[in-house]
Amino acid sequence: MASPLTLILPIIPGTTLPTISAALATYGPQLTAALSSIGTVHYARTLFLDRSAPNLQPGASPSDSYVIAIITEFDLSFDKYIQDFVAQVGPVFDALLQFVVGGAAITPVANNVAAFEAFITANDASQHPPNTGLFQAYTFTVQEILANG
Amino acid sequence: MVTVINYADVQGTILRGYRVDLARHFILSITNAAKAGAFLASLIDGTNGFPRITTAHRWTEKPECFVNIGFTAPGLAALGITEQQLATFDKPFQLGATSTTSAANVGDIGDSSPENWIGGLSNGAKVHIVLNLWVDDDPQILEAVTLRLRTAFAPGGLTELSAHDAHALPDNHVHFGYRDNIAQPTVIGAPPRKRKIPDDQPPVATGEFLLGYPNQGNGTYSVQPPELSKNSSYAAFRIIEQDVAAFDAFLAEYAEKAGVDVETLAAKVCGRWRNGNPLELQPDAPGEPLPNSQINNFTYVSPDATKDDTLGLRCPIGSHIRRNNPRNAAITGTDSTHHRIVRRAMPYGPAYDPAKPDSIPRGLIGYFINASISNQFEFITEQWNLDSKFVKAATGPGGKEAGNAFFNISGEDVFLGVNDPADSSFTLAALGAKGKNNTVITGFSRTITTRGGAYVFLPSISGLRYLAALPNQAGM
Repeated sequence: MASPLTLILPIIPGTTLPTISAALATYGPQLTAALSSIGTVHYARTLFLDRSAPNLQPGASPSDSYVIAIITEFDLSFDKYIQDFVAQVGPVFDALLQFVVGGAAITPVANNVAAFEAFITANDASQHPPNTGLFQAYTFTVQEILANG
Repeated sequence: MVTVINYADVQGTILRGYRVDLARHFILSITNAAKAGAFLASLIDGTNGFPRITTAHRWTEKPECFVNIGFTAPGLAALGITEQQLATFDKPFQLGATSTTSAANVGDIGDSSPENWIGGLSNGAKVHIVLNLWVDDDPQILEAVTLRLRTAFAPGGLTELSAHDAHALPDNHVHFGYRDNIAQPTVIGAPPRKRKIPDDQPPVATGEFLLGYPNQGNGTYSVQPPELSKNSSYAAFRIIEQDVAAFDAFLAEYAEKAGVDVETLAAKVCGRWRNGNPLELQPDAPGEPLPNSQINNFTYVSPDATKDDTLGLRCPIGSHIRRNNPRNAAITGTDSTHHRIVRRAMPYGPAYDPAKPDSIPRGLIGYFINASISNQFEFITEQWNLDSKFVKAATGPGGKEAGNAFFNISGEDVFLGVNDPADSSFTLAALGAKGKNNTVITGFSRTITTRGGAYVFLPSISGLRYLAALPNQAGM
């Protein structure tokens, strides 16, 4: 039985999308390896949105209304495993949070785990009505799927 | 970088095993903060005829007694730590062991519920201090120091809610008959153990056991005020009662059901034979006790096919020692070094004589020490002892036709699990795809019940001095 995480974070005005993309690209291989190693994440992706655009899609022109969303489905408890996540992907979150409104106060996340956890809880739409739902076609865990493969 | 710890600033029990035979743990409530501060100051320096708080500093002559002290969150508040400061402490510590959240996390439900705890421990708001006294082996010293302390409790603004004695059984055995106190983490920067028991595991970052040092996640735990941070730690104080007759009955009934002898099942649920020898090194019979140089020197996964036990064929993946320290086995999250704990426990109650059955309480009492109760004590209990989903899919040298680790564990820890007979389960793994040849025993009950507990903060010596002076500064 997986749980959803829909982390929606406003970007600090004046930040460009190429700047964020370049910073995150540096950590791409580390992030991929870490998520595989943690072994509880089914899928993960990021979205960039522009609150000022009618259809929320970022355009060619710069905007001061960007939002980044991190969307995953995972097994077990994110809160319980937060130290494990921080140990493996803490630097990735640090790199991202430098562009996020309120992010500086909780970095480095390795030194601010409780505050980071509270930040996630506050900004994870899936933990707040009316966005708590999740359809699941199966109840297998990541490890169960791998073991049956 | 070499980690240098000022041992004289660290309470001794965090980094040193005292190797003593007697213990008494006082549960105290603070009734007058200023007087309690003065009492604490006397303990820190060993003045006014009090024993001195023991530090981790090397001693040239073994002290006649060892004393350490822990404070609960209400205890720190009673001394003047503010609500805002307490909010910077580890979350389970803030909630306390009697909170419904913490109790549920560690399986303290039913008969183990905090409402049933003994010695005033059920009322977490009133439990302020756990004061520990250890003595080598002379009961007269224990009583003499106890008398000195007790005469000072009332004038020291303290009420004794209860005291809990413990005593070593021969050869470090516990009531279920197993040799205990074998495995402890190697803490970077800690004094070397006098009784060296090498293991094949990485040393653990200092920050997993002391605030103010880098931990395994490359961060540093800290609290406010800063005077309480560096060289402090946390501990889960636990009193767990062992029902020896029920455990013996479990072994007899389920050994027959599993088609093994009683001692083999005893070894399988623990991971060690009762003489301490690990199944990884002595898979078929207990044998003579291995020397300390070998008894803890093993791993579960090895590139050498003859030594590999990924599938738990020798040492079950759900055995007590493998759940509580999976060593190099594949688990979700990171690895076992991120969740280690130091154990300082000793039996209480008389040894059980099956020829003269009785219902006298007996069990284990002591500390599980860590820098994060949430990520260590509670994580281990909740994720590894009370669940089986932490095991990653992994195959051994025989490939998937021989089995997969994921299928070779079930239920909860036989010792520390809740083990409701409706869903209790333990797996004895055998070769075969997807566990098809495994033997699974079900329907058994828990044989260990929690009788008391408290989450305490073990301040550094400089932190203790800060706390001793705080009531006067705060005008309490």
